[in-house]
Amino acid sequence: MMELGLIAEIATSAMIVLGSLLALIGSWGMVRLPTLMERLHGPAKATTLGLGALLVGSVLYYQFYKGQWSAHELLISLFLFITAPIAANMIAKVHLHRLRQDRAKAGPAGTPPAPSEQSDWSTFEAPHSDTPVATSQE
Amino acid sequence: MGKRAATCCKKVTAKKEYRSQPMAVPATLSTLVVLPFVAALLIAAFGGAQRWVHSGLAAAGSAIGLALILSVAGPVIGGDILSVSAPWVPAIGLDFSLMIDPLGLMFAGLIFGIGLLVVIFGHFYLADGEATGRFFASLMLFQGAMVGIVISGNILLLLTFWELTSLSSFLLIGFWRHRADARQGARMALAITGGGGLVLIAGMLMLGIVAGSFDLMTILQSGDIVRASPLYPVILILILIGCFTKSAQFPFHFWLPHAMAAPTPVSAYLHSATMVKAGVFLLARLWPVLAGTELYTGIVTSVGLFTMLFGAWAALFRHDLKGILAYSTISQLGLLVMLLGFSIEMAAVAAVLHILNHAAFKAALFMTAGIVDHETGTRDIRRLGGLAKAMPVTALIATIAAGAMAGIPPLGGFISKEMMLYETLEISLFGLPWLVPVVATVAAALSAGYSLRYAWQLFFGRPRDPEPQAKAHDPAAGMWISPAFLAVLAVLLGLAPMLIAAPLVTAVSSAVIGRAVPEVELALWHGVNTALVMSIIAVAAGVLMLWRHGTLLRLYEGVRHLDAKHLFERGLGMMDAAVRKAIMLVHRPSLQRMLFATFAVVALVMAEGAWIGGGSLTGTREGLPASPVAIFAWLLLIAATIAVLLNERQRFRVLIYISVIGLIITLGFIHLSAPDLALTQIAVEVVTILLLLLALNLLPKTPPVLSRPSRRWRDGMLAILGGLGIGGASWAMLTRDPGQTISSFHLANSYSGGGGKNVVNVILVDFRAFDTMGEIIVLGIAGLAIYALLDTTSRGTAGERLRTWQEDMPHSPESHPVMFVMATRILLPLVLAAGLFIFLRGHNEPGGGFVAALVVAIAFMVQYLASGFDWTDSRRRIGEHFLIAAGVLLAIATGLGSLLFGANFLTSAFGYFTLPLVGELELATALLFDLGVFAVVFGAVMQTLAQLSHISQRAARAHAARSRASSAENGA
Repeated sequence: MMELGLIAEIATSAMIVLGSLLALIGSWGMVRLPTLMERLHGPAKATTLGLGALLVGSVLYYQFYKGQWSAHELLISLFLFITAPIAANMIAKVHLHRLRQDRAKAGPAGTPPAPSEQSDWSTFEAPHSDTPVATSQE
Repeated sequence: MGKRAATCCKKVTAKKEYRSQPMAVPATLSTLVVLPFVAALLIAAFGGAQRWVHSGLAAAGSAIGLALILSVAGPVIGGDILSVSAPWVPAIGLDFSLMIDPLGLMFAGLIFGIGLLVVIFGHFYLADGEATGRFFASLMLFQGAMVGIVISGNILLLLTFWELTSLSSFLLIGFWRHRADARQGARMALAITGGGGLVLIAGMLMLGIVAGSFDLMTILQSGDIVRASPLYPVILILILIGCFTKSAQFPFHFWLPHAMAAPTPVSAYLHSATMVKAGVFLLARLWPVLAGTELYTGIVTSVGLFTMLFGAWAALFRHDLKGILAYSTISQLGLLVMLLGFSIEMAAVAAVLHILNHAAFKAALFMTAGIVDHETGTRDIRRLGGLAKAMPVTALIATIAAGAMAGIPPLGGFISKEMMLYETLEISLFGLPWLVPVVATVAAALSAGYSLRYAWQLFFGRPRDPEPQAKAHDPAAGMWISPAFLAVLAVLLGLAPMLIAAPLVTAVSSAVIGRAVPEVELALWHGVNTALVMSIIAVAAGVLMLWRHGTLLRLYEGVRHLDAKHLFERGLGMMDAAVRKAIMLVHRPSLQRMLFATFAVVALVMAEGAWIGGGSLTGTREGLPASPVAIFAWLLLIAATIAVLLNERQRFRVLIYISVIGLIITLGFIHLSAPDLALTQIAVEVVTILLLLLALNLLPKTPPVLSRPSRRWRDGMLAILGGLGIGGASWAMLTRDPGQTISSFHLANSYSGGGGKNVVNVILVDFRAFDTMGEIIVLGIAGLAIYALLDTTSRGTAGERLRTWQEDMPHSPESHPVMFVMATRILLPLVLAAGLFIFLRGHNEPGGGFVAALVVAIAFMVQYLASGFDWTDSRRRIGEHFLIAAGVLLAIATGLGSLLFGANFLTSAFGYFTLPLVGELELATALLFDLGVFAVVFGAVMQTLAQLSHISQRAARAHAARSRASSAENGA
C-alpha cells in the first residue's frame, strides 16, 4: 500500500508542477513576446495545456486520496478546449483588421499573406452563399 | 360540532331570540357573494366565445342569485336575520361576515333582478364585434361587489366591496376605451367615488373604534354611544362625504352626467338602480346610528333638498336623453337623501318605497333611451319627436315610466311622491317650517316637467328631423321585454301597493329604523289633504312648464352656468402641478444629483454615528493573518479601481477593469469559504459584462464632458467621504464579535428542517422563502420595466434618433464567424447540462435556481452573440413575458400548495428517492419554488437582452429601408 501511496503522490504532484510550469511559460510568453500574433501563443496554447494538467492532477488527487471518481475536471477541460481557441481566433481576427487600418504592428513574419489568389481572409469577406457559414445569415 | 356550528354561523332574530338555523343558510349567503365573481371569471375565461355564452353565463348567475334571494325572502321578511361569519383577519377585527336583513334583501333583490333584466337588454343592445366578454365580466364583477356591500355584516368588509364597486364602475364607464369622453368620464367617476370611498374608510374606522366593534349588528345597537361621542361630528361628516360622492349629491354630483358615456345598459344598472343607491343604502343602513341629531338632519336634509331642486332644474334643460335621465337621477337621489335626513320614521318608509319605485321606472327609462338611440342613431331630443307612430311599444313603456317619475296616479311614483310631500310638512329647516314643503313642491313640479317633456317631446307632436325618424322602428322583443317588465312593475306598485310592496316596505323600514314600524298603509287615495294639493300643484306646474318650455329654455340659456367638469379639471390640474413641484423639490430627474444626495446622506449618517457613538473604530475581535496572496489581490483591487477612474472616458476599457474587480471579489469569496457567493458573483459578472457590451455599443464610445472641474472635485471628495464611511462602518462591524446571530439557528436547522445541507440555498427557498418570493416579483417587475422603458423608445423623437443610429465602429463583413458559431452550438447542450446540474444540487451544495438561471442565460446569450439575434430568436419558442409570469405563478402556487396539506404558506416538504444510474436524489417542494426563481431570473435576463438588441435591430431595418429607398430613387 505504501508503494501505491508514493506513486500516487508523485503522479499528482508531477501533474501540478507540470501544469504550473506550463501556465508560467504561457504567461511569461505573453509578457515577453513583441507582437500580438506571437503573444497569443502563450495563453492560447501553453496556459490551456497547463490548466489541463492541473485538472488531471485534481482528478488523481480525488481518486487516490478521497477515493472518489471525479469527472467535473474532464468537463471543465472540455469547456476550456472548446472556448480557448475560439477566444484566440477572435482576438486574431480583430488583430488582422487593426493591421489593415495601421492601428497595430506586424510581427517579424510580416503581415499574413492572403490564403489564395482569388480570396482574402474570411474575416474580410462576407460568407459565400451555399456554405455552412451562411446558415447563420438571414 | 354543536359549538363549532354556533360560532361559525349564528342567526340573530330581530326579537333577539335564538332559533335553530337551517344548515343551508351559510351556504346560501356565501353563494350570493361568490356567484357573480365566479360568473365574471367564467366569462373572462371564455372571453373568445360567442356573445350568447357571455350573456348566458351572466344571466344564469343573476337568475340563480335572484332565486336564492327569493328562497330566503320569506323568513327574512318574517323578521329573521340570517348571518354567517368566519374570521379573516381577526387581529384588526375584519371578519368575513355576511348578514341579510330586509334592507339587504331588498337591495340584493334589486341588484340581481335588475341585473338579470340589464343582461338581457345588454345582449341585444351591444353592436356586433364589441367585446361582450369584457363587458359582461365587468358587469358581473360589479354585481358581486354591490351584493357584497348590501349583505356585509362587517363594515371593513363593506368598505372592501365599496371600493370594488368604484373600480368596476370605472371599467364599465370606460368600456368604449377608444372614446375620449368615456375615458374622461370613467376617470372622473373613479376620482370622485373612489376619493369619497377613502374618506368613508376614515369615517367608518372611527365609527368602529367608537362603537368598539366593526361588526355591523354591534354598531347598529350602539347608536347612543356613537351620538354621544365627541367624535360624532367628524364621523358623521366623513361618512356623509362617502355617501354623497357615491350617490352624486351636490357638490359631488357632476361625475354622474359624465358617466353617461357608458353603454346604456351600464347606465340603467349602475347609474340608476344600484351603484348610485349605495350611498342611500349606507345612509339607511346607519340610520339608527347616525340619524336623529340636529347636525344630521340639518346637513342631510339641506343637501338632499338642494340636490333635488338643482338636479330637477338642470334636467329640464338637457337635450341628451341620457343627460336628462342623469340629472333626474341626481334629483331623485336628492329626494331619497332628504327623506332619510328628516330622521322621521314615516319618512324612512317613504324613502324605502321610493327606492323601489325609482329602480323600476328609472331603469326602464334608461333602457328606452337606449332603444331610441339604438334605432334612430341619436339621443338628441331636439332631433326627435312623434316617435309614437314608428315605435308604439317603446313609446308605451317610456310614457308609463315617465308618468311614474312625474308622480301621476295611478302609478307607483305617485304614492311615494305624495308620502314625501306629506312628510315635508313635518320638517322645519333653519327654523323655517315652510321652506322644505315649498322647495319640495317646486322640485316635484320640475320633475313632473322634465318627465312629461321626456315622454311628450320624444314620442308625440311632430317629427323634427326626418333622418332619425326614417330609421325608427320598434326593436325585437328581446330588447323591450326588460323595460316592459319594469313598466308593468311601476303600474302594479301604484295599483296594488298593499299586495306587492307593503310587506316588504314594512319589513325594510323596520330594518332601517331599528324597531318595528306601525302597519304601513299604501294607497293611491288618502282623501283630500295638503299633500294631495301640493301634488296637484306640482303636476299642473309641470304641464305648464312643458307648454312654456321654449320660453324657459331661452331664459335658462341666457344665464351663464358654471361648468363643474371644467372646475374639476382645473382643480385637478392645479393639484397635479403642485405635486409635480413638490416632487421636483425632492427628486430631481438627474442621476448625478440623486447619487450626490445618496452619498451625502450616507456620509452624514456615518459621521453622525461616529460622533454620537464615540468609542474606538476598531473592535476587540481578533483579526486573521493576511496571506501574501490576499495582500496581492487587495493591491490588484485597488489598482483596478484606480485604472477605472483613469480610463473613465474609454468605456470599453473601463469594462475590462470592472470585470477584473469582479473576478477578484469572486476569488475573495472563495478564499473566505463562500462558494455560493462566488458562483453567483462570477455568473452575475459574465451576464453584466455581456449586457453592458450590448448597451455600450449603442452609446458614443467616448462620453462628452458634462461637468465642470469644480464639480468633479466636489463629487470626488464626496465619493471619498462616502467610501471612507462605508469602509469605516465595515471595519467597525468586522472587528467586533457578532454575538448571537440567526446564522446559528439556520446552521442548526438547515438539514433537519429544510432538508438541505446548503444553508444559503435553504435560507433562500425555505427559511426566508417569502422574502425570495418578493424578490423575484421585484425582479420580474424590473424585467417588465426594462421592457416598458426601452420598448417606448421606438416612438417619438427618441425613436427617430435611435432609428438613424449608425454603428460607429468598423465591422467585419463576416458578421458571424463560423468557428465561433459552431463552438457555441456545441457548447449549448453542455452548458444546459451544467445548468441542470447546478440547479438540482443547489439544495445541498453550492448552486440553486438563481445561479442555474444565470448560467443557462449565458449559454443563450452566447448563441445570440454568435449567430445573431434574428437567427436565434426565430428558434425560440417561449417568450420572456411568459417566463417571468410563469415563474412568479409557480413560486406562489408552490407556496399555496402547502396550504392543501394544512401547513403554512411556503412550508416545504422533502423526500429522498433513488434513481437508476443517477443515484440517490433528494426532491423537495423547495425545488419547485426554485424552478420559479429560475424562470423569473432567466426571463428577466433574456428580456434585457432582447430589448437592448431590438434597438440596433430596428436601426438596422430602418437603415436597410433607407438604402433601398435611395437606390430605388437612383434607379428611377
